[in-house]
Amino acid sequence: MVLTASKYDPVSEVIVLKIDNVSKEYPTPRGPLRVLSNVSLSLNKGDAVSIMGPSGSGKSTLLYLVGALEPPTSGTITVDGQNPFELNEKQLAAFRNRQIGFVFQDHCLLPQCSVLENVLTPTLVSTNGADATARAKTLLEQVGLKDRVDHRPAALSGGERQRVSLARALITRPQLLLCDEPTGNLDHQSAEVVASLLVDLHQQQETILIVVTHSAELAARVPIRYHLVDQQLQLIK
Amino acid sequence: MQTSSLIKQSLLYYWRTNLAVVLGVATAVSVLAGALLVGDSVRTSLRDLVVQRLGRTSFVISSSGFFREQLTDDIQADPQFVQDGLSSVCPLISLEGTVTHERSKRVASKINVYGVDERFWRSNQSTHSAPDSRNVFVSPDLAHELGSSVGDSILVQVQKPSAIPLESLHSKKEDVGKTLRATVAEVLSAESLGQFSIQPQQAGVRAVFVSLKLLQRELEQPDKANLILISEAPTNSSSANTKSIEEILRKRFTLADVGITIRSVQEDNRTVIALEHDSKMIDELLRRAAGDTAKKLELQQGAFFSYLANSINAGNRSIPYSLVTAVDDNQFKLLAGKDISSSLPPIVLNDWAASDLGVHEGDQITLEYYLWQDTGQLETKTATFSLVSVVPMRGLAADRNLVPEYPGITGSENLSDWDPPFPVDLQRVRQKDEDYWHAFKTTPKAFIPLTSGQTLWQSRFGNATSLRFWSDRAPVSTEQFAQRLRETLDPTLLGVITTPVRTEGLQASRGATDFGEYFLYFSFFLVVSALLLTTLFFKLGIEQRIREIGIMRAVGYGPGLIRTLFLGEGIIVAIAGSILGVLGAIGYGALMMFGLRTWWVDAVGTTALKLHVSAQSLIVGAAAGITAAVICVAFTLRGLRKFATRGLLAGQLESDLPRTRRSRSLILGIVATVIGTLLLVLAATHAIGQVAGFFGGGTVLLIALLLFQSVWLRRERGGSLGGNGWWPVTRLGIRNTTYRPARSILCIALIASAVFIIVAVDSFRHRAGTETLDRKSGTGGYPLLADSLLPMVKDPNSREGQEDLNLRDDNPESPLTAVKFTRFRVKPGDDASCLNLYQPRNPKIIAPTSDFIQSNRFAFQSSLANNSQEAENPWLLLNREFADGAVPVIADANSLTYVLHSKLGDDFVIQNGDREIKLRIVGALADSLFQSELLMSEANFTRLFPDAQGYRFFLIDLPHPDRSAAVTAALEDRLSDYGFDVQPTAERLANFHRVENTYLSTFQMLGGLGLLLGTIGLSAILLRNVLERRRELALMRAVGYNSQHFTLMIVAENVVLLLVGLVTGVFCAFLAISPVLLTRHGGFANPSLGLLLVGVLVSGLAASILATWTILRAPLLEALRAE
Repeated sequence: MVLTASKYDPVSEVIVLKIDNVSKEYPTPRGPLRVLSNVSLSLNKGDAVSIMGPSGSGKSTLLYLVGALEPPTSGTITVDGQNPFELNEKQLAAFRNRQIGFVFQDHCLLPQCSVLENVLTPTLVSTNGADATARAKTLLEQVGLKDRVDHRPAALSGGERQRVSLARALITRPQLLLCDEPTGNLDHQSAEVVASLLVDLHQQQETILIVVTHSAELAARVPIRYHLVDQQLQLIK
Repeated sequence: MQTSSLIKQSLLYYWRTNLAVVLGVATAVSVLAGALLVGDSVRTSLRDLVVQRLGRTSFVISSSGFFREQLTDDIQADPQFVQDGLSSVCPLISLEGTVTHERSKRVASKINVYGVDERFWRSNQSTHSAPDSRNVFVSPDLAHELGSSVGDSILVQVQKPSAIPLESLHSKKEDVGKTLRATVAEVLSAESLGQFSIQPQQAGVRAVFVSLKLLQRELEQPDKANLILISEAPTNSSSANTKSIEEILRKRFTLADVGITIRSVQEDNRTVIALEHDSKMIDELLRRAAGDTAKKLELQQGAFFSYLANSINAGNRSIPYSLVTAVDDNQFKLLAGKDISSSLPPIVLNDWAASDLGVHEGDQITLEYYLWQDTGQLETKTATFSLVSVVPMRGLAADRNLVPEYPGITGSENLSDWDPPFPVDLQRVRQKDEDYWHAFKTTPKAFIPLTSGQTLWQSRFGNATSLRFWSDRAPVSTEQFAQRLRETLDPTLLGVITTPVRTEGLQASRGATDFGEYFLYFSFFLVVSALLLTTLFFKLGIEQRIREIGIMRAVGYGPGLIRTLFLGEGIIVAIAGSILGVLGAIGYGALMMFGLRTWWVDAVGTTALKLHVSAQSLIVGAAAGITAAVICVAFTLRGLRKFATRGLLAGQLESDLPRTRRSRSLILGIVATVIGTLLLVLAATHAIGQVAGFFGGGTVLLIALLLFQSVWLRRERGGSLGGNGWWPVTRLGIRNTTYRPARSILCIALIASAVFIIVAVDSFRHRAGTETLDRKSGTGGYPLLADSLLPMVKDPNSREGQEDLNLRDDNPESPLTAVKFTRFRVKPGDDASCLNLYQPRNPKIIAPTSDFIQSNRFAFQSSLANNSQEAENPWLLLNREFADGAVPVIADANSLTYVLHSKLGDDFVIQNGDREIKLRIVGALADSLFQSELLMSEANFTRLFPDAQGYRFFLIDLPHPDRSAAVTAALEDRLSDYGFDVQPTAERLANFHRVENTYLSTFQMLGGLGLLLGTIGLSAILLRNVLERRRELALMRAVGYNSQHFTLMIVAENVVLLLVGLVTGVFCAFLAISPVLLTRHGGFANPSLGLLLVGVLVSGLAASILATWTILRAPLLEALRAE
């Protein structure tokens, strides 16, 4: 099944992300375990989709495939026409750095670095790190942490930490913003704040946003919603 | 499921982590038990050497003189001999000698020369034949040293025994050695007693076995021996001990065995018993014993002291070479025939002498005589008397038996035939003197009171030449008197000593140095590193299972049960590790023993050390390893208590960065800096001891630096990691050191401390060729030293002495011109230096002449000086007198600490015959050439050891030290009859230094191994840090970090810790040893130290790359999954 998100959004003309007939299997002692089966999806700049589904349905796997963290068993994924899995390890790392921003359920901040430094972490290995500090400060201002730039992660609340990770995800102006249960560890209020920021910043930065979540509230904030069942994406209308 | 099943399954499931812990424990046990095995092995090897070298000998009876060979059979014939479980006895002549290989001219000195016959092998249950005629056997080590083989000719030189004290007028001082030519008939294997030695020593035995009969003949001691070997029965039924053998000896010895002669002498109208001694002198001990015997037998007694007067002068008349006898007061009064009252000491002349001198009662008579000075010179003295009587030549005045037999004098037919060991001018002998000699032989021409004679002539060897006993009632036979005297005398007091050589040897084999202890010290860092690794790996295992612990807590496992489960696992793993470690210990022990036989042979001086595996050491080592490991495990588990169950369930071990700890570290760091700097300043200004000051200062500054580093690691960071490229990534890696500051500080502290100790210890290393001729150095400023096989009594500094010793050379260009000797008396004994592995029980003692004491050479490390004079010249302490009779001695500080295990002010009791002598350490020399011996004042020495005669050790001053080789050659040539062996003092000192350096190398090598193992621990910490941060790292990977970035980050983190540790340790060590560095002009003795430090850096890098590789292989992305 081929889903093209853009046909629901006539504004978008250029397909940036193309997932073409992608399947993913994991080897197990009892034979290969298929998690995704012939999934296809195309997203244009500025698109935002949420993917919901039961635990173990393969939501995060799909996100990791899109994020070039692991290769599909079959099918292709291209970003701006580039298949990242054709790149060598070094080029692949650079590709992720340049094209993709991640927000995970666990904020994964470096405890020994300040808030600002955490946001800057991706720029340290970026080939284009000019004005990174200014941009980091702007992003932190946008996520409401202007006064906390020199704080350590240990001094922040869970919601604040996730906001830092959101700023970090956007620091390299990625094409894709991939979020894996970004509000999964947060209380309701913090989840609301993060969800709002996610949507707002996505719109401001014009990235493609893919949110994998169990949260119907978060999913509802995104215009296009999929349900991953039986190894397939099903559009929720 | 039972708890045990849970433990079992956990052990199997986490086998990789457990295997790492097992290896850590195994390493610790290997090193601990291995070190103990080294101690056991050295002790057992030394013990084996003693047993092998003694053969079956358990006791020896030795004497300063010679006794009848028959005494051996007499002892064996005693019923008590068998009752005590003794089996055999064998006479021997044992002397120290020099052997020269005739063809190659190679000389070996300090050789054991044994005169043996077939009884020697028979008593050792061997059928080996004895050397006959001029055939000799040599030990393998002597054969090797000389390069000799069967059929070669050798010259054996020994001291010719003489009962007459060398330092007395009548001894032959130039003819003290005896050389015999012999042929090597066999190189005697160790199994055939070729390494026989009663002196425990680890070095090879250099011995030559000569036919007993030949040696007796050459030494003019027919049928005599100076040593008896006694063996015990092979069964364990022996009850013999020193006392029981002394008891047999007391029953079986004869007066001849202790040099006493009893004869009957006919006086005018009576027969008297005369007692004389082979030494021609009767000491106070014998005189008292004889006096007691006389009292028991109700005998009268008289003492006589005969002496040779060079001249009896009156006015311008003179009688040459006359014997004068001092008689006790009663006898003198009887001889004079009246009461005596004169201002001058009285003298009685016989009528021949009075007539010859033309003197009458009341005239002044002057005696001119030689007196041998202890300083090695013959001086002519005079004494003036008042003639109180002239007596006819009858009775006592005609008694030619008053004078003992003097070689070269009493046996001469004519006076002109005299060949005494002192200069005589036979031109002075007149015909009437010859006539007197022909008619009256040794009949004294003059008599003086005994007190006068003793004042003039007594020495440390005695104060009479003969004693006489007679009865006014029933006569007593000489046999009766001899029997009673023998019963009164204790041969042990007369120098016949019984020594339990086997017991003493086995006791000494416990060693001066506990190698087990030393190797524990040497292996300290290895053990610490192994335990650190054990703790780290166990901790890694625990943290790997942090969620499991959380779940256990959540489902109701109490903390005690959880601890028990994990402790149970820890104990099982520790036991498994210790079992593996026991095998490792045998390997480690074998490796160390191999090292002692090869790389570190300079420290032990023998290749005879073998590995002996002791179950006790293995058990102790394993138990210690298990205990240490379990403590580490328990400590790790204890650390889990502070974490909340929720955190554990989330797999989180949050770090805390308390501000209070930072402030406290800062304050402590400042305080430590102040104290450290103060100590350095005080040491630099000599306000406190330099070693303690600089080492203390360096150590405190090391602590201060570690505290500051702790503050730095915990500080809030103001700047940020901006930019991109390698440098910011490197900085991020460096920043990771702050992730767990305590761990980072632990790494730095471990490396810094190890480096500090290893580098600082190197300052104790002695560089070859740095020995100076400074009078306050370890050489005392003497370029040469010499040992003499034969005692030298002549003073080589005096003109006469030089002439007698063939050292006089009027050619100003002669190498011997202006050469000065400082002489030392020597009482042979155990080597008290680090060259001797056996425990010295009776150390060698030497005594310098008084001019040496005044010269105040050598540097003292410490002394008991309590006045300015003694502080200025601590040698003066040797003259101090203690109320409790302790004798002051000075020792080298190193020997005192490491071999004698004593300290300044301690008493050290030595055995001198049957007597104990309490020595008190009054001074400790700093790194001197006197490491093998104790130094005593000459006055105390001659009082305590009157039998140790002459000088046998010399320090030599040269006007031109650059000519030392020529002086050495000249001295060894001209004094070859004395077995004079000259050696540069620097060489002697270097021999000691080589041992110390070898110990230091061992410490540094094993410390370096520990340091290397520590760097692996460092990498384990790094790995653990990285694993803990795997989510962050996974995210970094997700945002574009590649393998090179990770490698750079991890290596940067590790290198920073390594470098900070290395630099901190080296910097503080350099501060601590700066005085040594300054004296070495900045040079470092050991270039391998630099290699070690580079090795640590390289191994640390390698380990961190390995850690990176491990991380990159780990499925990091799993950590990111929300599901």
